[in-house]
This record gives sequence, structure tokens and C-alpha cells, in this order.
Amino acid sequence: MIEVRELTKRYGRTVAVDGLTFHVKPGRVTGFLGPNGAGKSTTMRVILGLDRPASGEALVNGRRYDRIRHPMREVGALLDAGAVQGGRTPLGHLSWMARANRIGIARVVSAIEQVGLAGVARKRVGGFSLGMRQRLGIAAALLGDPAVLLLDEPVNGLDPDGVRWIRELLRGLAAEGRTVLLSSHLMSEMELTADHLVIIGRGRLIADTPMRELTAVRDVLVRSSRAGDLAGALSAAGGTVAAEDDGGLSVRGLDPEEIGDLAARHAIPLHEVTPRGVSLEETYMRLTGGGADR
Amino acid sequence: MIDALAAEWLKLRTLRSTSVVFGVVAVVVALMALLAWYAVHLWEGLPPDQRDRLEVSSLPELANWLASLCLAVLGVLAFSGEYGTGMIRTTFTVLPSRGRVLAAKAAVVAVVAFCTGLAAVLATYAAGRLIIGDRPIQGQSAETLSRQMPLFLALSLSIAMFALLGLCLAAITRSPVAAVAALVAVWYVLPIIVNNIPAPWNERIGSILPGALAGQLAGTGNPQSLGGALLSPLAALAAMAAWVAVPYAVAAVLLARRDV
Repeated sequence: MIEVRELTKRYGRTVAVDGLTFHVKPGRVTGFLGPNGAGKSTTMRVILGLDRPASGEALVNGRRYDRIRHPMREVGALLDAGAVQGGRTPLGHLSWMARANRIGIARVVSAIEQVGLAGVARKRVGGFSLGMRQRLGIAAALLGDPAVLLLDEPVNGLDPDGVRWIRELLRGLAAEGRTVLLSSHLMSEMELTADHLVIIGRGRLIADTPMRELTAVRDVLVRSSRAGDLAGALSAAGGTVAAEDDGGLSVRGLDPEEIGDLAARHAIPLHEVTPRGVSLEETYMRLTGGGADR
Repeated sequence: MIDALAAEWLKLRTLRSTSVVFGVVAVVVALMALLAWYAVHLWEGLPPDQRDRLEVSSLPELANWLASLCLAVLGVLAFSGEYGTGMIRTTFTVLPSRGRVLAAKAAVVAVVAFCTGLAAVLATYAAGRLIIGDRPIQGQSAETLSRQMPLFLALSLSIAMFALLGLCLAAITRSPVAAVAALVAVWYVLPIIVNNIPAPWNERIGSILPGALAGQLAGTGNPQSLGGALLSPLAALAAMAAWVAVPYAVAAVLLARRDV
């Protein structure tokens, strides 16, 4: 459980986060979305106690992060996969973290295996690709078997296999009852991974809503050889009908079953009945006004 | 705190620059041996009545002077290396108490610097004794090891002081370049400037410069250095502590206040 309450953070005269409030609940993957400069990374840094807020607070499991004795056992974080000194090896990098949080060396080895870096555990990180560094960052996040995970852009630099791997990993972790907060710029990926979304823009909350409400069915596309008759019947039944350029009908207010039954009652042949959803990307663009803020 | 200490020790041990610094210190010791051999060569070449005119700097003290810069750089790298890569964020998420991280880094760096410094000084002393033997070359003490040990320990303590100064400067400036520049200023430039200001201030200020403290602490004075020798051993120890405590306090306050 992550609670962000009335959080405000300024850098000089720039307001990065402005009175932001949201909760991240366990048992689901919460996507954290917003244009560049919207304040996502700042919010994550405040949650992790790296940046001090001007006002408000961010709590993890009811406590400030910097009050947790062995934080890696409660919260796993991936902020910047590049933030490893190149001379270190995965084994060396994870070992000191484990030691600092009283995590056994056996767990270090299993975390390295879990992310698929066993073959390079003793190689210097300097020669790693971005994807391999991401895997190392994820191994660090998972090291303490934490109930809360914060991941900033974890799929950056991962190949399609890696993207799929992390999607299944995160969904699995959420299914185990963990709290997962995930930020990403990749809408299609977010649509597949997240159950719930927190969208911010200019440091303020724009939406805090289940994914299915943002990607709900918009209308039903209907085609018929007797489109005119069908349109009349659908309107009479309470639907809102609009003709499309190619002769199809866009119907709102009636679901596909009702449309099919109605057509059968009037003996009107149907050529197509397609429920059409909105993509997350479209909704996101509409909500954030498109593009970056700054 | 034990966890933080163990973590910082692991971190320093697995840092590539640590082995580079150790390598440079080894080269310094080898150079001292070479210098001893060269001094012997010169001394033997002189007619016996002119041999007293050949004076060579005390090799353990010279080794200490060079090693103190090497380990001060190690102190700098122990912090600034993390700022350069952004790993400092990882460090502070793994160990959220910044004061504890600073304390752990300081303890590890101080112990490593003291031990390395002592090893370098003793190795230089041993090499010097072996090569010079009982030739009475000016500047080379013929005292036994047990008589010299107080000086050697004071020299090693001064290396630890320089390393901690480097660590704190890196924490304050967050930049390796700025920290090393400040260090070299204190280590090399400041003594030269102070030496050239009018008496008695050159000796007064020269006595409290970090490079001049080891000799005063051991009670041997500073016969060959630019620094003065006005302090009692206890006052020298206090000055050493101040050269660490003041930057440490500034670093602690800044670390606690600043965003990472």
C-alpha cells in the first residue's frame, strides 16, 4: 500500500508536483502515466525518501520510507537502470545491497537467476546493454522479496521477450497480493499490464481509475443491406445512431445482443456487428491534452 | 550501523578505482626503493669527506606525503563515484539514513587509509633499511623501528585524515573534479603560499596545515617540510581532528538537507 497525500514538491520556482493525492492498493498493477515533466519520477523519488516534499507526505505501508529499518524487504524500487558503477558485477552490486538489508547471499543468487543474468553474474556491468541493466535493476527490486514494488520505466531497452517477461512477472507479483506501481510511456504495454491507472499532468491528478473504465466500449458498428430501416428501428428502441461515411452505422446506447435481437424481430439482415473500444492511448491523449507539458 | 559498515566495505572492495589506488601506492613504495638505491649510488660515488653534503629526504615521510594524496583520492571516489553514475540514489534507497551512510563510508575509508598508509610507510622503511644499510646518509634516520614507530603511526593517522577530508569534500561538492582540486590545494598549494607569507605568520599558519601535523603529533617536528612546528602533540591531534570534524559536519548537514 502506497499513500500519497497532498504532496507538493518545488524545484526553485518550478512546481513539479502540486497537491497530489492517490493510493496504490495491493493485489493489482497500478500504472502511473503522464507526459514528460508531469512529475512521475519526482513523485517516485519522494515516495522513496530521496527528495523532500515541500508539503504533504508519501507513506509506504503506513510509514515514511526513511523510517523503515530494512527497506528492501518491504519496498523494491527500480528508478534508473543506468545508475550502476560500470566496474561492478551483478553479484557484487547485489551483495552489498543484500548485506545492508540483512538478506542472505542465497537470495542474491536466486534473484540473479530469476532475471536471467546467471551467465553474466561475474561480468562487469560496464559492458551490459540497457536491457541487461534493466534486468539487474529488477533483480535489485526483487531482492528483498518486498510486498511493494515501484518501477520507473522498467521496460525501456528490453527486447520483446523481455517486455513480455516483465509483464507476466508484474502481473504474477500483483496476483500474489503485492502492491505494484509501474510507470511507462508505452501505452499499449500499459494497457496489457496495468489493472488500474493513475494519470497525472503538470503535477496534478488527472485520473485515478480502473483500466476497464478508460478502455470501455465506445459504440457498436453495425452494417446491414437495409441500413435505413435498421437505423429507424434502433432509434425507436432508444439507441443513438449515426451514419458512417462507408455506409455503416455507429450505435451508442444499445449493446450488441440488443441490436441483434432487434434486427431479428424486424427481419433485417445484419452483415456486421462490432463493438468498438477506445484505446488507452486515445483516452490518455484526450485527458492530458496530448503531448508533453514542458 | 554494522549492516551499513559491511555494505560500504563490500562496495569499496568491489570498486575498480580501489585497486587502482592500491596499485599507485605500490608504485610509490617501489619509487622510494629506487630513490634509496640511487642515494646509495650517489653516496658511494662521493669522496668520503663530501658525503655529509648529500642529503636525502626521509623516505617514509616522502612515501607518506604521496600516499596521502592517493588515499585522499580514494576518499573522494568513495562518494563522488556514486554521484557521477546516479548510484547514490540506489545507495540511499538501500540505506535511507544518510547520516549512517556517511558514517559508514567514513569509518571504512579511514580504516583502509590508515592500514594502507602504515603498510606503505613500513614497506618504505624496510626497503630503505635494506638498501641503505648502515651508510650514514643525511636525512635518513638510523633509529630502530620501535623508536620510529610513533612517527609512522602519526603519519598513517595523517593519511586517514586526508582520506576523510577527501570523502567529505566529495560529499559536499558532489563532483570529483572540484573535490580533488580542493584537496590538492590543501595538500600542495596552500603550504607553498603559507611558506611565503611574512614571519611569524608563515610558521603559525604552517603549523596547523594538515601536512604538518604528523611530525608535530609524533614530537619530531617538521625538519624537511614547509610546515611549521609550533604545536604540542596534543594540539596537533586536536588540529587533525578538526580537519576531519568540520568538513564532516558540513557534509552531514548538506546530505540531510539536499535532494538526491
